[in-house]
Amino acid sequence: MDVKIQQPEQQLIEPLVKPGAKSKRFKKAAKRVNNQKYLQIMALLGVVWMFIFNYIPMYGLIIAFKEFSIIQSISEAPWVGLMQFKEFLQDENFLIVLKNTLGMSLIKLIIAFPLPIIFALLLNELTSLKLKKAVQTISYLPHFISWVVLGGILTTWLADIGVINDVLLGLGMIDERTNFLASPDNFWAIVILSDIWKELGWSAIIYLAAIAGVSTELYEAATIDGANRFQKMWHVTLPAIMPTIAILFILAVSGVLNSNFDQILILKNSLNESASNVIDTYVYQLGIQNARYSYATAVGLMKAIIAFILLLSANKIMKKINGTSLF
Amino acid sequence: MKKTWVKGFSLLLILSLFVGLFAGCSSDKDESASDEKKSKATANEPGWKTNKDPITFDWYVNFSWFAHKWGDDVVSKYVTDKTGVSVNFISPAGNEAEKMNTMIASGKLPDFITIGWWEDAVKKMVEGELVLPLNELADKYDPYFYKVSDNAKVEWYKQEDGNTYGYPNASSSPKDFDKYKELKPSNQTFLVRKDMYEAIGSPDMSTPEGFLGALQAAKEKFPEVNGAPLIPFGMNEFTDVGNTSLEAYLQNFLAIPMEKDGKVYDRTEDPEYLDWLKTFRKANEEGLLAKDIFIDKRPQMEEKIAQGRYFAMLYQRSDLAAQQHALYQKDPNSVYIAVDGPANSKGDAPTLAGDSISGWTVTLISKDVKDKERAIQFLTYLISEEGQKDLYLGKKGETYDETGGKPEFKPEVLDLLNKDRAAFDQKYGASYKYWMLMDTNMNLQWLPPSSEPFKQMEDWTKGKTVSFAEFDGINPTGTSAEGVAASKIAQEWGKTLPKLLLAKSDKEFKKIFKEYKKKRDSYGYDKVVEYQQKTYKDNKAKLESATK
Repeated sequence: MDVKIQQPEQQLIEPLVKPGAKSKRFKKAAKRVNNQKYLQIMALLGVVWMFIFNYIPMYGLIIAFKEFSIIQSISEAPWVGLMQFKEFLQDENFLIVLKNTLGMSLIKLIIAFPLPIIFALLLNELTSLKLKKAVQTISYLPHFISWVVLGGILTTWLADIGVINDVLLGLGMIDERTNFLASPDNFWAIVILSDIWKELGWSAIIYLAAIAGVSTELYEAATIDGANRFQKMWHVTLPAIMPTIAILFILAVSGVLNSNFDQILILKNSLNESASNVIDTYVYQLGIQNARYSYATAVGLMKAIIAFILLLSANKIMKKINGTSLF
Repeated sequence: MKKTWVKGFSLLLILSLFVGLFAGCSSDKDESASDEKKSKATANEPGWKTNKDPITFDWYVNFSWFAHKWGDDVVSKYVTDKTGVSVNFISPAGNEAEKMNTMIASGKLPDFITIGWWEDAVKKMVEGELVLPLNELADKYDPYFYKVSDNAKVEWYKQEDGNTYGYPNASSSPKDFDKYKELKPSNQTFLVRKDMYEAIGSPDMSTPEGFLGALQAAKEKFPEVNGAPLIPFGMNEFTDVGNTSLEAYLQNFLAIPMEKDGKVYDRTEDPEYLDWLKTFRKANEEGLLAKDIFIDKRPQMEEKIAQGRYFAMLYQRSDLAAQQHALYQKDPNSVYIAVDGPANSKGDAPTLAGDSISGWTVTLISKDVKDKERAIQFLTYLISEEGQKDLYLGKKGETYDETGGKPEFKPEVLDLLNKDRAAFDQKYGASYKYWMLMDTNMNLQWLPPSSEPFKQMEDWTKGKTVSFAEFDGINPTGTSAEGVAASKIAQEWGKTLPKLLLAKSDKEFKKIFKEYKKKRDSYGYDKVVEYQQKTYKDNKAKLESATK
């Protein structure tokens, strides 16, 4: 069917192209390339870089289907089919790490995702520019502390003689000192709260930028219509930054199988193990530390495929709901 | 005119970027030229004396805590002057296995590699032919190697192909072990804080009752140390695979045998051992195990040791030297002393691990080494008595003097060594700063008499050491079936151990241990046992040929 429809179109086009036009067009293009040759070469460098560092390493993915040992080359390793994948799915720790990974990610998605938006909206309402700048700077400062450092600080703060115990005890919110990292019950809360504290200001930047791009005429029109500040926020600002929110949401959904590896590795200990072992740390233990690279690659590949499916579905849903999508 | 110049320049810039991009790919082969030269060294003359041209070797040390630089101190300057060799030390910034594996996978290694002998990477490097056989190098370039090396050690590390690839440090051949048994301390100690221990009447802590009673008494008498709660019992950090203090250390203190009737014995199932683990469980139930010990990593532990917050500890004495010193300077009574620790129901003396023939690390020479001849010559120099003396004592007249034929550190050098190890390393660099090939037996003759607060801990262990050489490396590693099984079992144990201690009752303890055993079997424990038994047998045969 398709072919039949296409044929007349082609016939329509072809007579329009005069003989020799092809080479003319090619010449034109060549001239244009020639004019931009330095820019093109610079762009080419980027392409070469991407090819070398992003595409060639993809060849290594085949070790997920092999039993790779680091003293052999990849091609020498024997094929084992889906063995590595099966092993991970049959692993009795699989369900626990999946539960921890998804649990923390979903709570983060529900709580930590909207917070920067609210924060940005509120920050936008501040009339004093000085105060706005100060709040913004202070709120994104923690982002620049590495988790390695922050983890050490948090461990001390959360210890039984740490500052958080002092404060809670002083406020009468707890009766006796506890070491918060010493039980699985608190772990998710600690991870999520510390992550919000660290990244809130930083994540708000992109929304603030989007808000800055909203045309002032819309606000003026809303004012004339008698909208108050809250209504303006709800009916003007929010719809205007919706595409940004949608795109970031799509990306966040595709990342639910990821967890903040540094953070969890550092805060994890033998007492909170049952709540803190996530896919990433488990693969690190089994795959990297014990040099089972095939296994680690298989899990990584599986994660990437699931993330890709999630990305596509989130993208599709978003497109249906409000017409914005990544592609 | 100007425009073409700009054009030309930018083209040049782009080209240079391209060159830079691929520069990393080319390999420098020009340095192996000296291989062809015939060596003039003989079996009676050290090879390093024949060539003293400056050369720098890259030396990888597989310990992330090793952060020393060559060339800052008296010793390294002296050695460079003497041999022409400088060393560029490389150590991993993060996880050691990760760095080592990456280097192996890349197929290119630094000139020298120093790594724990038990590491899987050693096997991989040998199998992957990434390292050179020391015996072949010695035959070709420096036969003097055979004169200074200990044949027992060379034999012990001989692979199936008849070659020896690595030379150990801190290793003691069976013959030497017996010779130095009374002289050399073990590192494994049961420590208590002196003032507290004496305040509660120096109780016997070798029985479960005595142990729990002492912890209780200490906690009651000293609920706080400088405002922070006392931690009644401390130990090594909990890792993914368990806790060394509660495994080998405790088992050694309980004198649990490693083999029974020629079969490798499963020490974890020993009733004496389980009884003591139950004692620790009981301690936790009575609130005598602080949460800290499950959470703290090395830095936190070291801080707490320096604050004297632990009452008792099952810990390696050499790892608290700096903290012990700080305590000693504050109050000589607040230091940690070694006392009789947990013992089995028969009250047998502990069987602490002494230096075995495997030693601690092995040093290997990479196939990519810059200069094979100089490398083996340098290695020979380091293991020879002259090299050992240079590294341990330093330069005559500068760090040591020979009074009455006996070399001794100068008083100010010794003083700094005892007071501030870090400053000593920085300034002099003697006394095992460069421990990669240290021969701890040979160095005994130069060792300054140890002083308090360290002497007591060392003396306590003397005579209690046992050689476990035939059990070295019996645990399978890597991606082989038994290796995977062993690592799964180890991970499972790492999860089980804290659960055992945190169990609410002995009944729950039993249940958890039973579950662990069931899982252990399902992971393929039989394969691990088989491997252990085979390696044990091989080791025994090797030891016999090494002692001949």
